[in-house]
Amino acid sequence: MNRLNSLKWRWRAGAGLAVMAALIYAASLALVAATDTKPTDSKAADTKAAGAKPGDTKPASPPKPAKKKAKKLTGAELYAIHCNRCHPERYATERTAAQWQTLMLHMRVRANLPAAQAKEILRYLQEDSGS
Amino acid sequence: MKISSLIPGVITAGCAISLALPPRAAAQVSTNDFNALKQMVEHLNEKVDKLEQTHEQDQKTHEQDQQKIQQLQQQLGETQIAVTNAVQKAEAATQVQPVHPVPPSAGPSAQQNFMVVGDAEVHFGKVDGSHGAFALADFAPIFLFRARDNVLFEAGFDVTLQNNADQNGNRTAGHSTSVDLSFGQLDYLWNDYVTVVGGYMLLPLGTYTERSAGWLNKIPDDPLPRGVLPSNGAGLQLRGAVPVGQAGQSITYSVFGVNGPSSADGTGNADQLDLDSNVGFKNDGTFGNLHGSPSGGGRIGWFYPWQAHYDVELGVSGQTGTWDDADKRRWSAAVLDAAVHLSPNVELKGEYINTWAETDNMGTIHPRGWWVQLAYKLAGLNLELPVINNVELVGRYDTVKDGLGTNTDRYTAGYVYYFSNTLLFEGDYEFLSSNDPTQNHNDFVFQLSYGF
Repeated sequence: MNRLNSLKWRWRAGAGLAVMAALIYAASLALVAATDTKPTDSKAADTKAAGAKPGDTKPASPPKPAKKKAKKLTGAELYAIHCNRCHPERYATERTAAQWQTLMLHMRVRANLPAAQAKEILRYLQEDSGS
Repeated sequence: MKISSLIPGVITAGCAISLALPPRAAAQVSTNDFNALKQMVEHLNEKVDKLEQTHEQDQKTHEQDQQKIQQLQQQLGETQIAVTNAVQKAEAATQVQPVHPVPPSAGPSAQQNFMVVGDAEVHFGKVDGSHGAFALADFAPIFLFRARDNVLFEAGFDVTLQNNADQNGNRTAGHSTSVDLSFGQLDYLWNDYVTVVGGYMLLPLGTYTERSAGWLNKIPDDPLPRGVLPSNGAGLQLRGAVPVGQAGQSITYSVFGVNGPSSADGTGNADQLDLDSNVGFKNDGTFGNLHGSPSGGGRIGWFYPWQAHYDVELGVSGQTGTWDDADKRRWSAAVLDAAVHLSPNVELKGEYINTWAETDNMGTIHPRGWWVQLAYKLAGLNLELPVINNVELVGRYDTVKDGLGTNTDRYTAGYVYYFSNTLLFEGDYEFLSSNDPTQNHNDFVFQLSYGF
């Protein structure tokens, strides 16, 4: 009976981990798809706001004022936000561009940095990297 | 007589008339004829002008055509050269075709890079009742190998020295070097939101192990309650971050399955709980978990910065699984972690840790504790003094109950002096009190750290 319970627990533990991994992967795919479709949506909105078709007789309605977009953070700002939380900041000239690429992979995993932000920080560091 | 006298008069009159008449009068042309001729000449002039203009245009067109022909001839020549080169290169390439060609789906060619980072620490410590001593506290290189843009292998080691001792703990001659693998893992960045980590990895129970160890923390030794948690585990992990908005906020997650804690002697007795040593290979050389079930866990965190150097991070993490060889006793842990930065100069962070271990001999025990650490850089005083500006004051309180009856509290006060952004000198005094009298002591600890 104990052996049966033990097997049941093993099965539950393994299945639970597998289901959780599958859910995370499915959610990530949905996020990737949502990120990919965003530019298309904005392009469609731009086309819609651009005016009437050539055959239209009605005058085009004036485009609605766009919502004020939040300012996108630069690589330098993201570097200041993330890196100094755990260690003194390093100078971009301390590493080559290739080394920064390797280090940013390491830091993206270790500090759980969002991919887009890690890429911005990498671009900032590589601009002034050492040779 | 009269006729002969008229003859000279007639001749003279004739001459006079002939002289008085204009010469054209000799060839008489009518006005109409003259005008017709004049119009004809004007028409002819206009036609000549038009012909001259047409000729000039034809000449220009001809010149342009000739230029185009020259350009086309040059392009043709360049194309012929390019074709010749391509043919030569293709012939050369076919001669050095790899035995195992890279499939088209493999993406761009690998951009490999290898580098070493890490840190090293030198200690000087003085414990009440014993002599002070220098020590190489730690040499901790991290090897990073980037195989592709989304594949990284990383391995971290801890190299330390210690005096030799016999089995009873008595000093013997010589010293030994220990080399411990603190992590060795393969990171595969699956997409922007999921990274797969496999191998022997640091566990995301709280954030201390992953982000504060070694030279990163401002106090040389670890908080006491970290001792009731495993630092590492062999297994697999999924982790990543989802950005929230454009201001740098993010939700982070980690989910892992590892072998989990084990029992030193296989039993479920409380004093046999072994947190870090179930790495997959048994003493007899066989491969397998020391107990039957894997141990699962994870962490979810929220990071909210409102500007650079001003942020809050909160996290909750945990792990659970069996630990005895019979697979009957469960070990579980829950950790709350928090960190706040209120300027470039103020940092407050801490963790609350609770664990539960079912045992054969003591029921369920609760090793637990918490710690909080405050740091302030004197540069925030704006005194513009070079030495003062490089000093950071640090204080920490940590406490642990080991679940077996020993309770320990510790107060630490110290400083960090920054020679540079990578070379630090730390000095601390620790007041430690415990209900076990043998553990009561106060320490001086000094540490020179270098991060590379």
